[in-house]
Amino acid sequence: MTAIDYLQFVLAPQVVNGLALGVAVVLVALGLTIIFGMLDVINMSHGEFYAIGAYAALALAAAGVGFWFLLVLVPVLMIPLGMAAERLLIRPVFGSKDRHVTTLLVTFGLGLIVEDVLKIIFGANTQRPPTPIPGASEMFGIILPNYRLFLILVGAAIVLGVAYVVYRTRLGAMVRAAAFDRNMAASLGVPVSLVYAGTFAFGVGLAGLAGVLLAPIYSVFPTMGRDFILLAFTVVIVGGMGSIWGAVVAGLLLTQVQALASLVISPVWTDPIVFGTMVAFLVFRPQGLFGRLGHA
Amino acid sequence: MLQISALHSHYGLSHVIQGIDIEAAPGEVIGIFGRNGVGKTTLLKTIAGWVKPSQGAIRLGGEALDGLTPDRICHAGVGFVPEDRRIFPGLTVEENLSLGLLQVKGRSSRDEKRVVEGIYDRFHRLGERRHQLGTTLSGGEQQMLAMARVMVGKPRLVLIDEPSEGLAPMIVAEIFAIVRELREQGAIILLVEQNIHEALSVADRFHVVERGQIVFSGEAENAGDRERLLKLIAV
Repeated sequence: MTAIDYLQFVLAPQVVNGLALGVAVVLVALGLTIIFGMLDVINMSHGEFYAIGAYAALALAAAGVGFWFLLVLVPVLMIPLGMAAERLLIRPVFGSKDRHVTTLLVTFGLGLIVEDVLKIIFGANTQRPPTPIPGASEMFGIILPNYRLFLILVGAAIVLGVAYVVYRTRLGAMVRAAAFDRNMAASLGVPVSLVYAGTFAFGVGLAGLAGVLLAPIYSVFPTMGRDFILLAFTVVIVGGMGSIWGAVVAGLLLTQVQALASLVISPVWTDPIVFGTMVAFLVFRPQGLFGRLGHA
Repeated sequence: MLQISALHSHYGLSHVIQGIDIEAAPGEVIGIFGRNGVGKTTLLKTIAGWVKPSQGAIRLGGEALDGLTPDRICHAGVGFVPEDRRIFPGLTVEENLSLGLLQVKGRSSRDEKRVVEGIYDRFHRLGERRHQLGTTLSGGEQQMLAMARVMVGKPRLVLIDEPSEGLAPMIVAEIFAIVRELREQGAIILLVEQNIHEALSVADRFHVVERGQIVFSGEAENAGDRERLLKLIAV
Protein backbone atom coordinates (compact mmCIF):
# COMPACT_ATOMS: atom_id res chain seq x y z
CA MET A 1 0.00 0.00 0.00
CA THR A 2 1.40 3.38 -1.00
CA ALA A 3 1.47 6.33 1.36
CA ILE A 4 -1.37 7.99 -0.59
CA ASP A 5 -3.48 4.84 -0.38
CA TYR A 6 -2.82 4.59 3.36
CA LEU A 7 -3.87 8.22 3.78
CA GLN A 8 -6.96 7.80 1.61
CA PHE A 9 -8.24 4.41 2.72
CA VAL A 10 -6.97 4.03 6.27
CA LEU A 11 -5.98 7.27 7.96
CA ALA A 12 -8.61 9.71 6.64
CA PRO A 13 -11.66 7.46 7.26
CA GLN A 14 -10.30 6.74 10.74
CA VAL A 15 -9.94 10.47 11.42
CA VAL A 16 -13.52 11.09 10.25
CA ASN A 17 -14.81 8.17 12.35
CA GLY A 18 -12.90 9.57 15.32
CA LEU A 19 -14.39 12.99 14.61
CA ALA A 20 -17.93 11.60 14.51
CA LEU A 21 -17.33 9.73 17.77
CA GLY A 22 -15.77 12.91 19.20
CA VAL A 23 -18.83 14.96 18.31
CA ALA A 24 -21.05 12.26 19.84
CA VAL A 25 -19.05 12.27 23.06
CA VAL A 26 -19.01 16.08 23.16
CA LEU A 27 -22.81 16.12 22.78
CA VAL A 28 -23.18 13.82 25.77
CA ALA A 29 -20.44 15.59 27.76
CA LEU A 30 -21.87 19.06 27.08
CA GLY A 31 -24.91 18.61 29.33
CA LEU A 32 -22.79 16.84 31.91
CA THR A 33 -20.22 19.63 32.10
CA ILE A 34 -22.84 22.40 32.21
CA ILE A 35 -24.63 20.69 35.09
CA PHE A 36 -21.34 20.18 36.90
CA GLY A 37 -20.12 23.73 36.29
CA MET A 38 -23.38 25.27 37.35
CA LEU A 39 -24.61 23.09 40.17
CA ASP A 40 -21.46 21.30 41.30
CA VAL A 41 -23.48 18.12 40.79
CA ILE A 42 -21.87 15.05 39.25
CA ASN A 43 -24.91 13.70 37.45
CA MET A 44 -24.38 9.95 37.37
CA SER A 45 -27.75 9.48 35.67
CA HIS A 46 -26.75 11.58 32.65
CA GLY A 47 -26.10 8.48 30.55
CA GLU A 48 -29.57 7.20 31.34
CA PHE A 49 -31.13 10.50 30.27
CA TYR A 50 -29.25 10.00 27.01
CA ALA A 51 -30.79 6.51 26.81
CA ILE A 52 -34.27 7.91 27.55
CA GLY A 53 -33.81 10.33 24.65
CA ALA A 54 -32.88 7.47 22.32
CA TYR A 55 -35.81 5.30 23.45
CA ALA A 56 -38.22 8.24 23.23
CA ALA A 57 -37.05 8.79 19.65
CA LEU A 58 -37.52 5.10 18.91
CA ALA A 59 -41.05 5.03 20.35
CA LEU A 60 -42.12 8.28 18.70
CA ALA A 61 -40.65 7.21 15.36
CA ALA A 62 -42.67 3.98 15.63
CA ALA A 63 -45.75 6.17 16.18
CA GLY A 64 -44.98 7.94 12.90
CA VAL A 65 -43.10 11.04 14.06
CA GLY A 66 -40.42 12.02 11.56
CA PHE A 67 -36.70 12.25 12.46
CA TRP A 68 -36.45 16.01 11.89
CA PHE A 69 -39.36 16.70 14.22
CA LEU A 70 -37.84 14.33 16.81
CA LEU A 71 -34.74 16.51 16.97
CA VAL A 72 -36.93 19.24 18.46
CA LEU A 73 -39.63 17.21 20.20
CA VAL A 74 -37.45 14.86 22.28
CA PRO A 75 -35.28 17.58 23.92
CA VAL A 76 -38.45 19.58 24.64
CA LEU A 77 -40.04 16.52 26.28
CA MET A 78 -36.87 15.89 28.29
CA ILE A 79 -36.94 19.37 29.85
CA PRO A 80 -39.90 18.75 32.24
CA LEU A 81 -38.25 15.45 33.15
CA GLY A 82 -35.05 17.30 34.03
CA MET A 83 -37.00 19.94 35.95
CA ALA A 84 -38.76 17.21 37.95
CA ALA A 85 -35.49 15.39 38.68
CA GLU A 86 -33.87 18.61 39.89
CA ARG A 87 -36.88 19.59 41.99
CA LEU A 88 -37.55 16.17 43.56
CA LEU A 89 -34.06 14.66 43.85
CA ILE A 90 -31.34 17.32 43.66
CA ARG A 91 -32.86 20.30 45.43
CA PRO A 92 -33.87 18.48 48.63
CA VAL A 93 -30.25 17.40 49.23
CA PHE A 94 -28.57 20.43 47.65
CA GLY A 95 -28.16 22.29 50.94
CA SER A 96 -26.65 19.32 52.80
CA LYS A 97 -23.03 19.38 53.91
CA ASP A 98 -22.20 16.23 51.95
CA ARG A 99 -23.88 17.55 48.83
CA HIS A 100 -21.31 16.19 46.38
CA VAL A 101 -21.49 12.64 47.67
CA THR A 102 -25.25 12.74 48.24
CA THR A 103 -26.12 14.05 44.79
CA LEU A 104 -23.66 11.60 43.20
CA LEU A 105 -25.32 8.68 45.00
CA VAL A 106 -28.86 9.96 44.35
CA THR A 107 -28.23 10.34 40.62
CA PHE A 108 -26.41 6.98 40.53
CA GLY A 109 -29.50 5.37 42.07
CA LEU A 110 -31.74 7.20 39.62
CA GLY A 111 -29.64 5.89 36.74
CA LEU A 112 -30.00 2.30 37.93
CA ILE A 113 -33.77 2.70 38.27
CA VAL A 114 -34.07 4.25 34.79
CA GLU A 115 -32.01 1.44 33.29
CA ASP A 116 -34.30 -1.20 34.79
CA VAL A 117 -37.46 0.68 33.82
CA LEU A 118 -36.19 0.87 30.22
CA LYS A 119 -35.53 -2.90 30.31
CA ILE A 120 -39.08 -3.54 31.62
CA ILE A 121 -40.74 -1.31 29.03
CA PHE A 122 -38.62 -1.94 25.93
CA GLY A 123 -36.90 -5.25 26.69
CA ALA A 124 -33.17 -5.93 26.92
CA ASN A 125 -32.59 -6.43 23.21
CA THR A 126 -30.62 -3.99 21.10
CA GLN A 127 -32.64 -2.00 18.60
CA ARG A 128 -31.28 0.00 15.72
CA PRO A 129 -33.35 2.75 14.16
CA PRO A 130 -32.86 3.24 10.42
CA THR A 131 -30.31 5.83 9.37
CA PRO A 132 -32.24 9.03 8.65
CA ILE A 133 -29.74 10.11 5.98
CA PRO A 134 -28.57 6.98 4.19
CA GLY A 135 -25.76 6.71 1.71
CA ALA A 136 -22.25 8.05 1.51
CA SER A 137 -20.45 10.90 -0.18
CA GLU A 138 -17.04 11.02 -1.73
CA MET A 139 -14.78 13.86 -0.69
CA PHE A 140 -11.17 14.03 -1.95
CA GLY A 141 -11.46 10.37 -2.90
CA ILE A 142 -12.56 9.38 0.61
CA ILE A 143 -15.94 7.68 1.08
CA LEU A 144 -17.75 9.20 4.06
CA PRO A 145 -21.16 8.11 5.44
CA ASN A 146 -23.66 10.96 5.01
CA TYR A 147 -25.17 10.60 8.47
CA ARG A 148 -21.77 10.89 10.16
CA LEU A 149 -21.06 14.06 8.17
CA PHE A 150 -24.48 15.36 9.21
CA LEU A 151 -23.72 14.49 12.84
CA ILE A 152 -20.43 16.39 12.71
CA LEU A 153 -22.14 19.49 11.28
CA VAL A 154 -25.13 19.36 13.64
CA GLY A 155 -22.86 18.68 16.62
CA ALA A 156 -20.73 21.71 15.73
CA ALA A 157 -23.88 23.84 15.36
CA ILE A 158 -25.19 22.68 18.76
CA VAL A 159 -21.89 23.40 20.50
CA LEU A 160 -21.69 26.86 18.92
CA GLY A 161 -25.34 27.54 19.82
CA VAL A 162 -24.84 26.51 23.44
CA ALA A 163 -21.59 28.48 23.67
CA TYR A 164 -23.35 31.53 22.22
CA VAL A 165 -26.12 31.33 24.81
CA VAL A 166 -23.73 30.74 27.71
CA TYR A 167 -21.04 33.28 26.76
CA ARG A 168 -22.88 35.95 24.74
CA THR A 169 -26.34 36.45 26.24
CA ARG A 170 -27.63 37.88 29.49
CA LEU A 171 -29.16 34.50 30.27
CA GLY A 172 -25.69 33.00 29.95
CA ALA A 173 -24.26 35.76 32.15
CA MET A 174 -26.90 34.87 34.76
CA VAL A 175 -25.91 31.21 34.57
CA ARG A 176 -22.19 31.98 34.86
CA ALA A 177 -22.75 34.47 37.68
CA ALA A 178 -24.90 32.01 39.63
CA ALA A 179 -22.32 29.28 39.03
CA PHE A 180 -19.60 31.40 40.56
CA ASP A 181 -21.42 33.18 43.37
CA ARG A 182 -24.96 32.11 44.13
CA ASN A 183 -25.60 34.74 46.82
CA MET A 184 -24.25 37.71 44.91
CA ALA A 185 -26.14 36.72 41.77
CA ALA A 186 -29.36 36.42 43.78
CA SER A 187 -28.75 39.83 45.38
CA LEU A 188 -28.70 41.31 41.87
CA GLY A 189 -32.07 39.75 41.11
CA VAL A 190 -31.01 36.52 39.41
CA PRO A 191 -33.69 33.88 40.24
CA VAL A 192 -31.03 31.38 41.24
CA SER A 193 -33.32 28.42 42.02
CA LEU A 194 -35.01 28.78 38.64
CA VAL A 195 -31.66 29.16 36.89
CA TYR A 196 -30.38 25.99 38.60
CA ALA A 197 -33.48 23.99 37.68
CA GLY A 198 -33.40 25.38 34.14
CA THR A 199 -29.72 24.53 33.74
CA PHE A 200 -30.22 20.96 34.96
CA ALA A 201 -33.20 20.56 32.63
CA PHE A 202 -31.22 22.06 29.75
CA GLY A 203 -28.42 19.56 30.37
CA VAL A 204 -30.95 16.74 30.41
CA GLY A 205 -32.49 18.09 27.19
CA LEU A 206 -29.04 18.03 25.57
CA ALA A 207 -28.58 14.41 26.70
CA GLY A 208 -31.94 13.59 25.10
CA LEU A 209 -30.93 15.31 21.87
CA ALA A 210 -27.69 13.33 21.86
CA GLY A 211 -29.80 10.18 22.27
CA VAL A 212 -31.86 11.04 19.17
CA LEU A 213 -28.78 11.87 17.10
CA LEU A 214 -26.62 8.94 18.12
CA ALA A 215 -29.21 6.15 18.15
CA PRO A 216 -28.90 5.45 14.40
CA ILE A 217 -25.13 4.95 14.77
CA TYR A 218 -24.63 3.35 18.16
CA SER A 219 -27.99 1.48 18.51
CA VAL A 220 -30.41 1.58 21.41
CA PHE A 221 -30.27 -0.71 24.46
CA PRO A 222 -31.02 -0.16 28.15
CA THR A 223 -27.37 0.12 29.25
CA MET A 224 -26.30 2.32 26.32
CA GLY A 225 -25.74 5.25 28.69
CA ARG A 226 -22.90 3.46 30.49
CA ASP A 227 -20.71 3.16 27.40
CA PHE A 228 -20.79 6.84 26.61
CA ILE A 229 -20.90 8.21 30.10
CA LEU A 230 -17.46 6.85 31.01
CA LEU A 231 -15.91 8.56 28.00
CA ALA A 232 -18.01 11.69 28.64
CA PHE A 233 -16.80 11.87 32.25
CA THR A 234 -13.22 11.54 31.02
CA VAL A 235 -13.80 14.39 28.59
CA VAL A 236 -15.31 16.58 31.31
CA ILE A 237 -12.39 15.90 33.67
CA VAL A 238 -9.66 16.41 31.06
CA GLY A 239 -11.37 19.48 29.57
CA GLY A 240 -11.96 21.11 32.95
CA MET A 241 -15.07 20.34 34.93
CA GLY A 242 -17.69 22.84 33.82
CA SER A 243 -15.85 24.20 30.78
CA ILE A 244 -17.73 24.04 27.47
CA TRP A 245 -14.65 24.64 25.32
CA GLY A 246 -12.73 22.21 27.49
CA ALA A 247 -15.31 19.51 26.72
CA VAL A 248 -15.04 20.24 23.01
CA VAL A 249 -11.24 20.19 22.88
CA ALA A 250 -10.88 17.17 25.17
CA GLY A 251 -13.69 15.28 23.41
CA LEU A 252 -12.17 15.73 19.97
CA LEU A 253 -8.59 15.10 21.12
CA LEU A 254 -9.30 11.98 23.15
CA THR A 255 -11.42 10.35 20.48
CA GLN A 256 -8.75 11.09 17.86
CA VAL A 257 -6.16 9.53 20.14
CA GLN A 258 -8.44 6.51 20.48
CA ALA A 259 -9.06 6.29 16.73
CA LEU A 260 -5.45 6.79 15.63
CA ALA A 261 -3.88 4.70 18.38
CA SER A 262 -5.91 1.74 17.24
CA LEU A 263 -4.04 1.90 13.90
CA VAL A 264 -0.67 1.27 15.51
CA ILE A 265 -1.43 -0.67 18.68
CA SER A 266 -3.98 -3.27 19.64
CA PRO A 267 -7.43 -1.62 20.10
CA VAL A 268 -7.65 -3.15 23.59
CA TRP A 269 -5.03 -0.59 24.67
CA THR A 270 -6.99 2.48 23.56
CA ASP A 271 -9.28 2.53 26.59
CA PRO A 272 -6.40 2.29 29.10
CA ILE A 273 -4.70 5.19 27.27
CA VAL A 274 -7.83 7.37 27.45
CA PHE A 275 -8.70 6.56 31.05
CA GLY A 276 -5.03 6.77 32.02
CA THR A 277 -5.07 10.32 30.65
CA MET A 278 -8.03 11.06 32.91
CA VAL A 279 -6.22 9.70 35.98
CA ALA A 280 -3.10 11.68 35.07
CA PHE A 281 -5.15 14.87 34.80
CA LEU A 282 -6.85 14.24 38.14
CA VAL A 283 -3.47 13.80 39.81
CA PHE A 284 -1.35 16.42 38.05
CA ARG A 285 -3.82 18.98 36.67
CA PRO A 286 -7.15 18.53 38.44
CA GLN A 287 -8.56 21.75 36.97
CA GLY A 288 -8.26 20.20 33.49
CA LEU A 289 -7.21 21.95 30.29
CA PHE A 290 -9.58 24.88 30.84
CA GLY A 291 -11.09 26.37 33.96
CA ARG A 292 -14.65 26.10 35.20
CA LEU A 293 -17.90 27.61 34.04
CA GLY A 294 -18.18 31.02 35.64
CA HIS A 295 -14.44 31.18 36.27
CA ALA A 296 -13.31 31.71 32.69
CA MET B 1 -38.91 53.70 55.73
CA LEU B 2 -36.68 50.89 56.98
CA GLN B 3 -37.71 49.20 60.21
CA ILE B 4 -35.58 46.47 61.73
CA SER B 5 -36.84 45.19 65.04
CA ALA B 6 -35.51 42.62 67.51
CA LEU B 7 -33.40 40.99 64.78
CA HIS B 8 -31.49 37.84 65.65
CA SER B 9 -29.42 35.59 63.42
CA HIS B 10 -27.06 32.66 63.83
CA TYR B 11 -24.09 31.19 62.03
CA GLY B 12 -24.51 27.55 62.95
CA LEU B 13 -24.51 27.51 66.75
CA SER B 14 -23.01 30.97 67.01
CA HIS B 15 -25.60 33.61 67.94
CA VAL B 16 -24.19 36.54 65.97
CA ILE B 17 -26.97 39.13 65.83
CA GLN B 18 -28.66 39.40 69.21
CA GLY B 19 -31.63 41.69 68.98
CA ILE B 20 -30.90 44.69 66.77
CA ASP B 21 -33.37 47.53 66.17
CA ILE B 22 -32.75 50.13 63.45
CA GLU B 23 -35.05 52.65 61.83
CA ALA B 24 -34.15 54.87 58.88
CA ALA B 25 -35.98 57.26 56.58
CA PRO B 26 -35.41 57.72 52.83
CA GLY B 27 -32.28 59.77 52.14
CA GLU B 28 -30.65 58.85 55.45
CA VAL B 29 -27.17 57.37 55.75
CA ILE B 30 -26.73 55.22 58.83
CA GLY B 31 -23.20 54.27 59.86
CA ILE B 32 -22.73 50.87 61.49
CA PHE B 33 -19.49 50.82 63.46
CA GLY B 34 -17.72 48.40 65.72
CA ARG B 35 -14.65 46.23 66.05
CA ASN B 36 -14.00 43.27 63.79
CA GLY B 37 -16.17 40.25 64.38
CA VAL B 38 -18.99 41.98 66.27
CA GLY B 39 -21.62 41.16 63.67
CA LYS B 40 -21.70 44.21 61.34
CA THR B 41 -21.25 42.20 58.14
CA THR B 42 -23.66 39.52 59.37
CA LEU B 43 -26.23 42.24 60.00
CA LEU B 44 -26.02 43.35 56.35
CA LYS B 45 -26.04 39.74 55.14
CA THR B 46 -29.13 39.06 57.24
CA ILE B 47 -30.94 42.03 55.72
CA ALA B 48 -29.86 40.94 52.22
CA GLY B 49 -31.13 37.40 52.84
CA TRP B 50 -27.73 35.68 52.74
CA VAL B 51 -28.20 34.68 56.37
CA LYS B 52 -31.69 33.72 57.51
CA PRO B 53 -32.88 35.69 60.53
CA SER B 54 -33.77 33.41 63.41
CA GLN B 55 -36.07 36.00 64.96
CA GLY B 56 -37.27 39.55 64.43
CA ALA B 57 -38.63 41.61 61.56
CA ILE B 58 -37.21 43.60 58.65
CA ARG B 59 -39.63 45.88 56.82
CA LEU B 60 -38.94 48.25 53.95
CA GLY B 61 -41.74 50.65 53.06
CA GLY B 62 -44.10 48.41 55.00
CA GLU B 63 -43.11 45.26 53.09
CA ALA B 64 -41.75 42.38 55.16
CA LEU B 65 -38.34 41.19 53.96
CA ASP B 66 -37.38 38.73 56.67
CA GLY B 67 -37.34 35.15 55.44
CA LEU B 68 -37.40 36.10 51.75
CA THR B 69 -34.77 34.78 49.34
CA PRO B 70 -32.02 37.24 48.27
CA ASP B 71 -33.50 37.67 44.77
CA ARG B 72 -36.91 38.60 46.19
CA ILE B 73 -35.28 40.97 48.68
CA CYS B 74 -33.43 42.53 45.75
CA HIS B 75 -36.67 42.98 43.81
CA ALA B 76 -38.18 44.62 46.90
CA GLY B 77 -35.59 47.38 46.41
CA VAL B 78 -32.52 46.30 48.38
CA GLY B 79 -29.06 46.65 46.82
CA PHE B 80 -26.02 45.03 48.41
CA VAL B 81 -22.38 46.01 47.89
CA PRO B 82 -20.52 43.35 49.91
CA GLU B 83 -17.14 43.72 51.55
CA ASP B 84 -15.06 41.94 48.94
CA ARG B 85 -17.04 43.44 46.00
CA ARG B 86 -17.83 39.98 44.60
CA ILE B 87 -17.23 40.91 40.96
CA PHE B 88 -17.96 37.82 38.87
CA PRO B 89 -14.84 36.36 37.25
CA GLY B 90 -15.32 35.56 33.59
CA LEU B 91 -17.88 38.35 33.18
CA THR B 92 -17.06 41.65 31.52
CA VAL B 93 -17.78 45.02 33.07
CA GLU B 94 -20.84 45.30 30.81
CA GLU B 95 -22.10 41.83 31.77
CA ASN B 96 -21.67 42.65 35.46
CA LEU B 97 -23.73 45.82 34.92
CA SER B 98 -26.33 43.98 32.85
CA LEU B 99 -26.97 41.68 35.81
CA GLY B 100 -27.58 44.76 37.96
CA LEU B 101 -30.38 45.69 35.56
CA LEU B 102 -32.28 42.56 36.66
CA GLN B 103 -33.11 44.36 39.91
CA VAL B 104 -35.84 46.26 38.09
CA LYS B 105 -38.43 44.19 36.27
CA GLY B 106 -40.18 45.31 33.10
CA ARG B 107 -37.64 47.85 31.80
CA SER B 108 -37.46 48.13 28.02
CA SER B 109 -34.11 47.37 26.40
CA ARG B 110 -33.93 51.04 25.31
CA ASP B 111 -34.34 52.13 28.93
CA GLU B 112 -31.72 49.64 30.03
CA LYS B 113 -29.29 50.93 27.45
CA ARG B 114 -29.92 54.50 28.57
CA VAL B 115 -29.30 53.57 32.21
CA VAL B 116 -26.04 51.79 31.37
CA GLU B 117 -24.86 54.69 29.19
CA GLY B 118 -25.65 56.98 32.14
CA ILE B 119 -23.35 54.85 34.29
CA TYR B 120 -20.60 55.06 31.67
CA ASP B 121 -21.00 58.85 31.57
CA ARG B 122 -20.71 58.96 35.35
CA PHE B 123 -17.85 56.45 35.55
CA HIS B 124 -15.70 57.04 32.47
CA ARG B 125 -13.22 54.35 33.44
CA LEU B 126 -15.94 51.72 33.46
CA GLY B 127 -17.05 52.92 30.04
CA GLU B 128 -13.52 52.65 28.69
CA ARG B 129 -13.22 49.13 30.10
CA ARG B 130 -16.73 47.89 29.34
CA HIS B 131 -15.50 44.85 27.38
CA GLN B 132 -12.78 43.99 29.86
CA LEU B 133 -13.26 41.25 32.46
CA GLY B 134 -14.45 42.82 35.71
CA THR B 135 -11.80 41.08 37.76
CA THR B 136 -8.99 42.65 35.70
CA LEU B 137 -9.94 46.14 36.97
CA SER B 138 -8.01 47.83 39.76
CA GLY B 139 -9.40 47.60 43.30
CA GLY B 140 -10.91 51.10 43.07
CA GLU B 141 -12.48 50.40 39.70
CA GLN B 142 -13.91 47.13 40.99
CA GLN B 143 -15.45 48.98 43.93
CA MET B 144 -16.97 51.48 41.47
CA LEU B 145 -18.32 48.61 39.39
CA ALA B 146 -19.79 46.94 42.47
CA MET B 147 -21.55 50.19 43.38
CA ALA B 148 -22.59 50.97 39.80
CA ARG B 149 -24.01 47.45 39.50
CA VAL B 150 -26.33 48.28 42.38
CA MET B 151 -27.04 51.85 41.24
CA VAL B 152 -28.53 50.72 37.91
CA GLY B 153 -31.29 49.03 39.93
CA LYS B 154 -32.29 52.29 41.69
CA PRO B 155 -32.66 50.54 45.07
CA ARG B 156 -34.57 52.05 48.00
CA LEU B 157 -32.13 50.58 50.51
CA VAL B 158 -28.41 50.16 49.85
CA LEU B 159 -26.24 48.01 52.11
CA ILE B 160 -22.56 48.89 51.75
CA ASP B 161 -19.87 46.90 53.54
CA GLU B 162 -16.37 48.35 53.94
CA PRO B 163 -16.27 50.24 50.63
CA SER B 164 -12.92 51.92 51.31
CA GLU B 165 -11.04 48.80 52.34
CA GLY B 166 -7.65 48.63 50.65
CA LEU B 167 -8.21 51.69 48.45
CA ALA B 168 -6.05 54.79 47.93
CA PRO B 169 -7.34 58.02 49.59
CA MET B 170 -8.28 59.61 46.25
CA ILE B 171 -10.38 56.63 45.30
CA VAL B 172 -11.95 56.57 48.76
CA ALA B 173 -13.11 60.17 48.25
CA GLU B 174 -14.71 59.14 44.96
CA ILE B 175 -16.45 56.17 46.56
CA PHE B 176 -17.94 58.37 49.26
CA ALA B 177 -19.07 60.84 46.60
CA ILE B 178 -21.09 57.96 45.14
CA VAL B 179 -22.60 57.29 48.57
CA ARG B 180 -23.70 60.95 48.69
CA GLU B 181 -25.25 60.62 45.23
CA LEU B 182 -27.21 57.58 46.32
CA ARG B 183 -28.45 59.51 49.34
CA GLU B 184 -29.49 62.45 47.15
CA GLN B 185 -31.49 60.01 45.05
CA GLY B 186 -33.48 59.20 48.20
CA ALA B 187 -32.01 55.82 49.04
CA ILE B 188 -31.57 54.69 52.63
CA ILE B 189 -27.97 53.63 53.15
CA LEU B 190 -26.60 51.33 55.81
CA LEU B 191 -22.85 51.81 55.73
CA VAL B 192 -20.43 49.50 57.52
CA GLU B 193 -17.02 51.17 57.49
CA GLN B 194 -13.75 51.03 59.44
CA ASN B 195 -12.72 54.45 58.15
CA ILE B 196 -14.78 56.25 60.79
CA HIS B 197 -13.79 59.82 59.87
CA GLU B 198 -14.73 59.38 56.24
CA ALA B 199 -17.93 57.55 57.16
CA LEU B 200 -18.99 60.28 59.59
CA SER B 201 -18.58 62.85 56.82
CA VAL B 202 -21.41 61.21 54.93
CA ALA B 203 -23.53 59.63 57.71
CA ASP B 204 -26.53 61.28 59.38
CA ARG B 205 -26.67 58.88 62.31
CA PHE B 206 -24.69 55.89 63.49
CA HIS B 207 -24.92 52.82 65.68
CA VAL B 208 -22.09 51.07 67.48
CA VAL B 209 -22.34 47.28 67.55
CA GLU B 210 -20.73 45.02 70.13
CA ARG B 211 -21.31 41.28 70.38
CA GLY B 212 -24.30 41.46 68.06
CA GLN B 213 -26.08 44.26 69.91
CA ILE B 214 -26.28 48.02 69.47
CA VAL B 215 -24.52 49.53 72.48
CA PHE B 216 -24.62 53.18 71.44
CA SER B 217 -26.45 55.31 68.88
CA GLY B 218 -25.66 58.88 67.98
CA GLU B 219 -25.88 61.76 65.53
CA ALA B 220 -22.95 62.20 63.14
CA GLU B 221 -23.02 65.99 63.62
CA ASN B 222 -23.08 65.83 67.40
CA ALA B 223 -19.58 66.37 68.80
CA GLY B 224 -20.39 64.55 72.04
CA ASP B 225 -21.72 61.52 70.22
CA ARG B 226 -18.66 61.45 67.99
CA GLU B 227 -16.35 61.60 70.98
CA ARG B 228 -18.21 58.73 72.65
CA LEU B 229 -18.05 56.75 69.41
CA LEU B 230 -14.29 57.18 69.15
CA LYS B 231 -13.86 56.09 72.76
CA LEU B 232 -16.04 53.03 72.25
CA ILE B 233 -14.18 51.76 69.26
CA ALA B 234 -10.81 53.12 70.44
CA VAL B 235 -9.67 54.64 67.14
